[in-house]
Amino acid sequence: MSRLVKKSPSLCTDLPLGNTDICNRLHLLRQLLRSCIGPTGRLKQVHNNIGGHVITTSTSSVLLPAISSSQPFINLIKTSILNHVSRFSDCGLFASILCLSLIEQAKQSGLRGNVATSVNKHLLGLCTSYLQRQDCGCKVKLDFCSSQSLITLARSIISSKPACVLTEREALHISKLAVQAFLLTVPCNNPGIVSLGKIVTVSVEGHSVLNSAVFPGLLVDMPDVFCLNKVENLHSNPMCMVVFSASLAGDLSDLGGTIEVHPGVDTDSQILDQLLKLGEQVVKDEVKLFICQKVIHPVLQQYLRSHGIVVIERLGITLMEPLTQLTGRGLYVLNPGISVLSSFGSKTMLHLQPPGDSAICTMILCHRNETMLSELKVVCQKTEHVLRLTLREPAALLGGGCTETHLASMDKVTETVSVLGCSQTEYLRGVEGFCQSLESVAAALQHDGGNSLMDLTHAHHWSHPADVMEERMEDSSGFCGCGLVESSTNQKWTYLNTKYPQFSPAPLFRVPTVQPRVLDSFTAKLNALQVAVETANLALDVRYLIQDMN
Amino acid sequence: MEHLHLEHVLQTVCVLESVVLRSFGPEGGQVLFTRDTGQAMLSRSGSRILTALRLEHPLARMMVECVLKHSTVTGDGSKTFILLLASLLRMIQKTACKEPNVSHTYNSRETAEASTARHLADKMLAFALEELDDIIAMGVVPYGCCLSWEDFTAKTKLPACTINHCVQKLLASFFHSRLGRTHCDFISNLTCEMLTHWKFKRDLPSSSLQFVNDNFAALHTPVSGFPISCSRLIEGQVIHRDFATPCPQTDHQPVKAVVVTGCLQPKLLNAGEVLVLGCGEQGREENSRKESSIVQFTAWLQSLGASVLLSAVKQSAAVLALAAQAEMCIVECVSEDELSLFAQLIKIELFLFHRYVHVAFHDSEERVTVKPCSLVICGTGEGQTDQYACAFQDAIRMLLSTWKPIGITATTASKKTFQPDKSTCLHVDNQIVKASPFQQYVLEPGCVIPAGGTFEFLLNHALLQHGSSCSISDDTIMGVPAVSQLLANALLSVPRHIYSYSLRRFLQTQTRLLKTDVSSVQVFTSDSGLESVSCKYQLLVAVLQCVSSLLHVDTVLHTHTALHTPSHRLANISWEGTEDERNTNSILTSFW
Repeated sequence: MSRLVKKSPSLCTDLPLGNTDICNRLHLLRQLLRSCIGPTGRLKQVHNNIGGHVITTSTSSVLLPAISSSQPFINLIKTSILNHVSRFSDCGLFASILCLSLIEQAKQSGLRGNVATSVNKHLLGLCTSYLQRQDCGCKVKLDFCSSQSLITLARSIISSKPACVLTEREALHISKLAVQAFLLTVPCNNPGIVSLGKIVTVSVEGHSVLNSAVFPGLLVDMPDVFCLNKVENLHSNPMCMVVFSASLAGDLSDLGGTIEVHPGVDTDSQILDQLLKLGEQVVKDEVKLFICQKVIHPVLQQYLRSHGIVVIERLGITLMEPLTQLTGRGLYVLNPGISVLSSFGSKTMLHLQPPGDSAICTMILCHRNETMLSELKVVCQKTEHVLRLTLREPAALLGGGCTETHLASMDKVTETVSVLGCSQTEYLRGVEGFCQSLESVAAALQHDGGNSLMDLTHAHHWSHPADVMEERMEDSSGFCGCGLVESSTNQKWTYLNTKYPQFSPAPLFRVPTVQPRVLDSFTAKLNALQVAVETANLALDVRYLIQDMN
Repeated sequence: MEHLHLEHVLQTVCVLESVVLRSFGPEGGQVLFTRDTGQAMLSRSGSRILTALRLEHPLARMMVECVLKHSTVTGDGSKTFILLLASLLRMIQKTACKEPNVSHTYNSRETAEASTARHLADKMLAFALEELDDIIAMGVVPYGCCLSWEDFTAKTKLPACTINHCVQKLLASFFHSRLGRTHCDFISNLTCEMLTHWKFKRDLPSSSLQFVNDNFAALHTPVSGFPISCSRLIEGQVIHRDFATPCPQTDHQPVKAVVVTGCLQPKLLNAGEVLVLGCGEQGREENSRKESSIVQFTAWLQSLGASVLLSAVKQSAAVLALAAQAEMCIVECVSEDELSLFAQLIKIELFLFHRYVHVAFHDSEERVTVKPCSLVICGTGEGQTDQYACAFQDAIRMLLSTWKPIGITATTASKKTFQPDKSTCLHVDNQIVKASPFQQYVLEPGCVIPAGGTFEFLLNHALLQHGSSCSISDDTIMGVPAVSQLLANALLSVPRHIYSYSLRRFLQTQTRLLKTDVSSVQVFTSDSGLESVSCKYQLLVAVLQCVSSLLHVDTVLHTHTALHTPSHRLANISWEGTEDERNTNSILTSFW
């Protein structure tokens, strides 16, 4: 009653983007995220003040939630990007850097807020419609007849996460596994609406990454070493198994009310009798494998084992879903299956595999230590998601910064400037800011003090180590960021974020033998582009800030 | 106890104005709030901004209450409300200070001023209730046009016809003021499309709008993580729950659904009940009887061919297991709103969506005109989808009040009966009002006028003319000419803020409007959007009412009553005006 505390007044900021403190914080966030992007990105260690777990990462989905700020602007941008990442799993850093650059550029250009947002919106429209065009110069059609481009796509994602600490060979191995697992989850024998299967990931610490493997079907932990000799029984074909989702512990805990027991009534033995009746039935039905999501009463377990049945308890809800998909629908399912025992280091696992196509597979991920393993697990899940997105839109964008430079050099002349409510000069200033933001994302890929350049024929992105002199640039043979363009003597370059004459990128003559080496997800990047511009526009539109200080 | 002076009122409203101004007009933007919970909210809606301020000052709270009362009905005009309020109070103060009512004896100059101000406010309100609708009908309506329901529903079919864009334009300028310029066209097109789908052929436009307004919660699905341009309409209804049991693949075949509102398996034991376990088989029998009854029920459902069970409550694990065995899928905890909408639209045809249940409906003859559809609102974050959804619903409210006949309001209705000659010239015509200087105009439902201060400029002009045409003998500061001039001047503050970035544009627009002959008005070629005359009229009356009630308060009593003794609350103490002072523990500090 008496704890009514006098409320402290709210803190109000008029025109917050004009505030230097807020701008400095946004700039700092941009520098932080900029240093993480790409295969040579710098890692960040996140640890809290109470001595918890230390995470080493450069992934936006891990890094952004760890950044807590009292500044609502940062939270606004953070939640937008995290929402994007939760939907598309990729391009989070791209979106956040682009968004923050757009805000900075719009401020530097000195345009009125509404002009900057309408120009940004207009340019976004130009970019998205260009990216969706058939003849888009930075888009590659994915060919499902060959796994090559899928592996390239997977490897681009995996190698852009340096916290996994993978060698070239290991990265390729994991990429191949990711594609293999993805292909296993696509059911191939039923036409019409298909529902994709599931990849169950099991991580094993202390082994070489090259030991990682993918198995069709499900691998279930076998903590019970006494069962090992009975596994031979499971080789009968077909095999009967039974799956329970209800607890078989024989407790009455979840009933709700109060239970009064008359003296002389032995509830425990009555319940146990019921459980054993069930056991008898199971033995009569010649069930070989007995699985329960929750706990099984030890007496029942003993009874079942004594009859040569393999018992697995406490399977957990996460494995129940794929298991029911694997075995069919419902709980009391008797299904034929083949089982093999596989052993992974310290773990002994039962391999359940139905005879037909099941769309369920298990991915065993091995790595040397826990931190790298947890990052690898996150990366593999992201890769799976991105590969799934290709089913919706079988296309990919050129990676390595080439899409960004290509979009930046795109022709943005428009006749309908008046519709945007601004003058021609204002429009050109807005265009400049937008292009510089795109280029700065491409330039962010370079972390070792090297130069970021763009060629003036195809508008692809090139990076050169710092020690290469400008005049010798022609000699340094190499490829552009995505690996489609080879450098030649008559090429002209310009440094990124410098002025260059307007040109329209020449279409690339594609030699079928030259495949892009780096690919980005089309769906994820398109959405990231839209989210980045929309979030930047939102932030630019904020005119007043009110913070409740209670 | 604190005596209130005119300056206090003015000061309070000025602070509200300074917050609201940032999001007003074409150059306005958003206001970003962070709550004490760390939650952020972004808004351009006047009523949301004012609510989120959580004001403590009793006067400010009174103003906000007035704004909310107005905006929940019309869905629009809360920012203009504050601007007009501030401008009117300033005008009143100026007049009152210049000529405090000297005919009475007051003990101080302040009291004299307050009294003058109060009288002035009352006069203005009386004037507005008496004559404003006629003045608007004469001076503003001829420049506008009337929307008809057919125009707007035909929009998608006949895009070439310009008049059909009226509703779209009306919505576009509404969304411009609520969501900003970049998305207004997209969202207004989406709204039009949705309303076209939900059109009931034989009914009045308002019934269809009312239906969408009532069921809006069930009719939209917010999705965050996508740009707003991904928002779209999808056929059928979305039930915002996932399947509790695995859903069978239905390749667009009709399925039968059953709606249950209760628990299929009664709980063996409810909380608080006592189960006595004795010897014998009695309890077990009871339980197995209950179990066999669900088995029978599921078998019955199966015989009906039902394959979907929509349940308002959570079902027991046994029910889920039985249903899964019977290849029936269950959706649990479906909200009441959604079930009631579903009940209105029964007959399912097809199925399936990602995380939510998506139901599409079979076309039935009685419903050929209505195509059930649901709106998916995308935004980059939860705050944004929330903002879009709010704007959407307010837009529907705004359309509803645009079509609401004004004559219904009590005061004007009674006036009409006293002056029967006024009703002789009623003509109902859904075309553009034909301009003719001799024709008398009435305020019809659905009348719209170009946005961008047109209403205020025209009404300002009409009021000034009205004032000068009145008899010169009535030359006191309380007379009709003075009052109408005061109101006219106060009105101009709205366009002044709209064109705040360029005074030249303000003057240009004013002269262009006043020069144009009514007969040559080309309303529909102008690029600016449209706004509803009836909403503007209601707004003006509401503001005047607010002014008058504000000026009637002269003292604020701060009672320090403990919360747990409501009997001690001075609820029955009231003073001039009827302002019940609920702010028992308030300290007279405002938020700034």
